[in-house]
Amino acid sequence: MSTLDFLLVFGCCLVSMLICRCLPIFVLKGRDLPEGLQAALNFIPPAAFAALVANDLYSPGMFDAGLWPALLPFAASLVVVVVGKKSGSLIWCVVVGVLCYAVLSAL
Amino acid sequence: MSASKALQQALGAALPVMAGYVGIGIPCGIMESNIGLNALMAFAVSMTFYSGAGQFMISNLWMTGSPLVSIIASVSFVNTRQMLYSAAFSPYFEQARKRLTLLFAATVTDESFGVNLAKFQEGSWTPGRATLVNLLCMTTWGIANAAGVLLGNALSIPAAIAAFAMTSIFICLLAMQEMNRLNILVIAASAIAVCVFKSVGLSAPAILLGACCGVVLGMVCRKARRA
Repeated sequence: MSTLDFLLVFGCCLVSMLICRCLPIFVLKGRDLPEGLQAALNFIPPAAFAALVANDLYSPGMFDAGLWPALLPFAASLVVVVVGKKSGSLIWCVVVGVLCYAVLSAL
Repeated sequence: MSASKALQQALGAALPVMAGYVGIGIPCGIMESNIGLNALMAFAVSMTFYSGAGQFMISNLWMTGSPLVSIIASVSFVNTRQMLYSAAFSPYFEQARKRLTLLFAATVTDESFGVNLAKFQEGSWTPGRATLVNLLCMTTWGIANAAGVLLGNALSIPAAIAAFAMTSIFICLLAMQEMNRLNILVIAASAIAVCVFKSVGLSAPAILLGACCGVVLGMVCRKARRA
């Protein structure tokens, strides 16, 4: 990432973050957000994380190199889901996920 | 109440979050070193933008070759959930000074939100102590990220492994969401939409468009169910 690219991404993301973090606390003065907006904002984390996972696991032409190279990340992902559900710990998910991926790749 | 007592109380509340931030800040820094950030840059990002999911997203999208515009749009879209947290605190900051409110609001995260809101609901919590909790957590996050970059520069991690580490983080964040019917629908719709967008050649905006499809479908079904 070049310094200019970094400053552009960092600057823009920071501005949008500060607006989202600071605006409601000043504007609302103790009132609630509109109900529809609250519902939409609550849908964003599941939608965004599902989109990120799908983006990582799926690519067009992923089966070109055969079935196993495409299914390997899915197999490791299933293990991560179980660890995530049981422990709720990001760090355990990373450790187990990476180990699982490395072992399955070596098979 | 003395300043040291306030610090002690804030530290007590912040410690579990700080420990978690060390554990996740170091891998986050390793990813940031993979996309070419130095320790100072990672520290600066962590002390201002200050978002685990956001920082992982930036590294992930950069590594998978997304254009800058779609990185900024996708991250900003995910930033919007911070409005919920900010709104939840507004009743407790009606009397607080503007500058303190601004400092507090700018440093709220998912984790410190949970800790501070619970304390406010118990009753014996002040805007000053809540801000102290945020600053302690943020400084820990910043130092852990910088340390992660230094560690990442020393190690050389294969790109495929690094990429799957980030996938694991997003899977864990997804698994921690409440799994009610509407959310499951939103998750399925978003994931399918991303695959469809990528298949038809819209790789760059696939994440943003896919997540928007999920949210829209969720809103439509929520309306239909209540009608």
